Amino acid sequence: MTPPTPPTPLTPRPLVLTTSARALYPIMLLISVWVLLRGHNQPGGGFIGGTIAVAATSLWAVAFGAKDALGRIPLGPVRLGAGGALLALSSGVLGPLVGRPFLTHLWVDLDLAVTTIPLSTVLPFDLGVYATVWASLGAICAHAIGLDEEAEA
Amino acid sequence: MASSIPTGEPTGDAPPTSRLIVLALLPAALFLLAWRALDGGFEAHWTWIPTFGLDFGILIDGLALQFIALITGVGTAVFVYGAGYLAGDPKRARIFGLLLAFMVAMLGCVTSTNLLGLFIFWELTSVISFLLVGTKHEYEATRKSAQQALMVTGAGGLSLLAGVVLLGQVAGTYAIPEIVATSEAWIDHPWVPAALLCLFGGAFTKSAQFPFHFWLPNAMAAPTPVSAYLHSATMVKLGIYLLARLHPAFGDLPLWQGTLIGVGGFTSVWSMVLAVKERDLKRILAWSTVSALGTLVMVIGLPGPGAATAAATFLLAHALYKAPLFFVAGNVDIAAGTRDIDKLAAMGRRMPYTALAALLAGASMSGLPLSYGFVAKDIIKLAKSQADVVTLVAWSGVFVGAASVAAAGVAAIRVFWHSGGRPLPPEIREVRWSMRIPPLVIGATGIVFGLAPWLAEPLLALSAAAMHTVDDGSAFDVEPGTPGWTAVAVTIVLGIGMFVVWDPLHRALHRVRFPKRLTPGHAYESFVRSIPHAAAAVARLVQHGRIRLYAQLSLGFLALGLLWVVARLEVPQWPSYQPPSIPIIGATVALVAASITVCVVRDRFLLLLAGGLVGLACAVVFVFGGAPDVAFTQLTVEVALVVVIASVLLRMRRIGVGGDILATDSIAKGSNNSTAAGDRPRLDPLSWPRMLIAVVTGVSVATLLLVSVMGPFDPAVPRFFAEHSVPDAHGHNVVNVILVDFRAFDTFGEVCVLLFAVLAMLPLFAALRGRRRAP
Repeated sequence: MTPPTPPTPLTPRPLVLTTSARALYPIMLLISVWVLLRGHNQPGGGFIGGTIAVAATSLWAVAFGAKDALGRIPLGPVRLGAGGALLALSSGVLGPLVGRPFLTHLWVDLDLAVTTIPLSTVLPFDLGVYATVWASLGAICAHAIGLDEEAEA
Repeated sequence: MASSIPTGEPTGDAPPTSRLIVLALLPAALFLLAWRALDGGFEAHWTWIPTFGLDFGILIDGLALQFIALITGVGTAVFVYGAGYLAGDPKRARIFGLLLAFMVAMLGCVTSTNLLGLFIFWELTSVISFLLVGTKHEYEATRKSAQQALMVTGAGGLSLLAGVVLLGQVAGTYAIPEIVATSEAWIDHPWVPAALLCLFGGAFTKSAQFPFHFWLPNAMAAPTPVSAYLHSATMVKLGIYLLARLHPAFGDLPLWQGTLIGVGGFTSVWSMVLAVKERDLKRILAWSTVSALGTLVMVIGLPGPGAATAAATFLLAHALYKAPLFFVAGNVDIAAGTRDIDKLAAMGRRMPYTALAALLAGASMSGLPLSYGFVAKDIIKLAKSQADVVTLVAWSGVFVGAASVAAAGVAAIRVFWHSGGRPLPPEIREVRWSMRIPPLVIGATGIVFGLAPWLAEPLLALSAAAMHTVDDGSAFDVEPGTPGWTAVAVTIVLGIGMFVVWDPLHRALHRVRFPKRLTPGHAYESFVRSIPHAAAAVARLVQHGRIRLYAQLSLGFLALGLLWVVARLEVPQWPSYQPPSIPIIGATVALVAASITVCVVRDRFLLLLAGGLVGLACAVVFVFGGAPDVAFTQLTVEVALVVVIASVLLRMRRIGVGGDILATDSIAKGSNNSTAAGDRPRLDPLSWPRMLIAVVTGVSVATLLLVSVMGPFDPAVPRFFAEHSVPDAHGHNVVNVILVDFRAFDTFGEVCVLLFAVLAMLPLFAALRGRRRAP
């Protein structure tokens, strides 16, 4: 990960900000994923995880500019958001296929030799929520933050 | 209007009749099939949306059968004729497809037993009519005509829907047979007049009754087969159909009789006056169609047993003479390249078949003896005498009859046999066979029925019985025996007189300066022109772009709503005091301090930070109040919000508006931001309402919370989730289980809202960026 040189707007960007952003960004994303995954049994979930990722994107936008922050959203905001919504939708389609109502989640216990892993359609649903929240709110925040810097660009 | 549009197809070596003619087999087959319903009728029923009382039913009784016969019979002729008329026209496939769709919509409309089903097909015919009138959409006049047809009939459709819903509410059913059968039970309901007026709005716009008559002649911008089919034989008769269908329920009401006789009678007279003002053959025929529709409306409104028979007979007679006359006008148009009666003369020698068809149809239109038009006019006269109507209405028939004779003379005699002293252009010759046969066949049918009226009687008797008030079999007891020969003679002589002085009459009518601003057509024009202005005025009023006023308005309504709720709260017992935990006390102190800061601080950045602090303190309260998920979300959202707004404020400050909150208004007024530190600006008088809104909202929310805490807590919902979360959804975090499982559909909807929000904002941001780059 090689952060670019900060662009001119909002300059001079404080060294403390850029340095800490560089360190915090991956940590925040990791935390957001962790929060997403633990969500079903402990505080957390796709929505909260997504908002943490949004905070990470906002931080990056303040430190290195909106364009760079948007570029760091995988697939780009529109595609990630739409993909997330589609993922959530498709996770609910399995229900009707086996004769249950739409969005009825199905669980399967995957039996490995050492342990059993419960698999379900909840995870793709929550993942979809996470992706859409991150993509859409992140894009809005980054663009709003970018309002100022592009004045001089 | 229509004369500015080139109408003639190339004469000379025209392409052969289009192969689309095979489509005529479809209406022909339906025409033959329909006769199976002659004895006994046909009924079918499907349940559609039972909760709304919406069923889809089909009932073919006499009235429906007569309309089916019109739709499929004239339809067959139109498809044959259209294949010839539109030969080589690049749009012919589109027109034929629309005509087929139109036929289906019409059949659905006249067979539907449910008023709502009827409404849906009714609207469908309006839309298809719009598309067909706009066939030559390259011309602005055509587009305007199509838009006018759609606007008038579409507005009428809305009126019809209102009437249908009202009627359904009053009668308790949307099924037409039940409405008719039970009408005596609710006919005195106070809503019935309103429902009737709405239904009139639908029927009168569709059937071009005054003051909605102006759209029909303009709809002549459509190709001639379309005009003959939609705007003469079938669609414009839907209003008649609706009135005839509901006549057994309302026929005895004075409102019903008075409106139908008044509007129909006036329309039939006035439109013949307007016909004399025209020079375009098709428009003359269109006005006489309006007149015939007016006669039909009036006849339906007549009390007495003969009215139903008269309506059924005239309905048939009109279709049998008007459709061929439209075909004739189309043939003349194709052969001569114009429909202007001043430029047409003595075409009969070159177009003998068309001229013969014109004569057959013209005789019927004039009501000459031995034609079916004669029978129809006779029965109408009889119905009028039975109904004992005022003399004015009775004599209006003489004028309309005379004007019809004159108009028929123009279409059948003047164009074909009156030379006008000018040589005939050599290229004029008879049209192809597919355009000769339909008018000849239909025109001849009109004469056959005139010679042998009893041939049509089985159908008309059934039809009349269906629209007759009392089902006592007396509907067709009208003896056509004693025609008032004097009246016939007077009508014909007057008509011939009018025909002879047609041109002087035309000029005289054009000299009459009727104030143009008072005509309904002009009223429509100014209405359409005013739409953009009204829309702009509304937009200026509610979309002023001042965020403060937006917020003030929405929060003001919120405050009003809260006040309304709080005012009717019953205050239960004051709760027992429980000492809060130390963290809650700490968070509350921070919350209160931050809130007070928000109220007194004037710098926007401090305001933002203090506001963020309020949110953070709330998050702390949530953490210790047992809602860690909410606290989590609150925290991250609050942080992101503060960061985003701070960057927006930075931008505002850079362009010089971001300082003191009280300074913004002066910026907006144009003076620059010169609020020095020393001179404290006085409190803006505008902020008093804001303060009031804030105080009312705050106090109301506090009261609401307090009262809801005071009440007994119903643990049913949390118990349900506590019990079902793990077994049903395999999750221990109830909040998350609710989000992703129990209420997953809601969550999915919210996710979609987020997605749409960003899709809507991206162009806005792009526009902002573009606007900034531009200067």
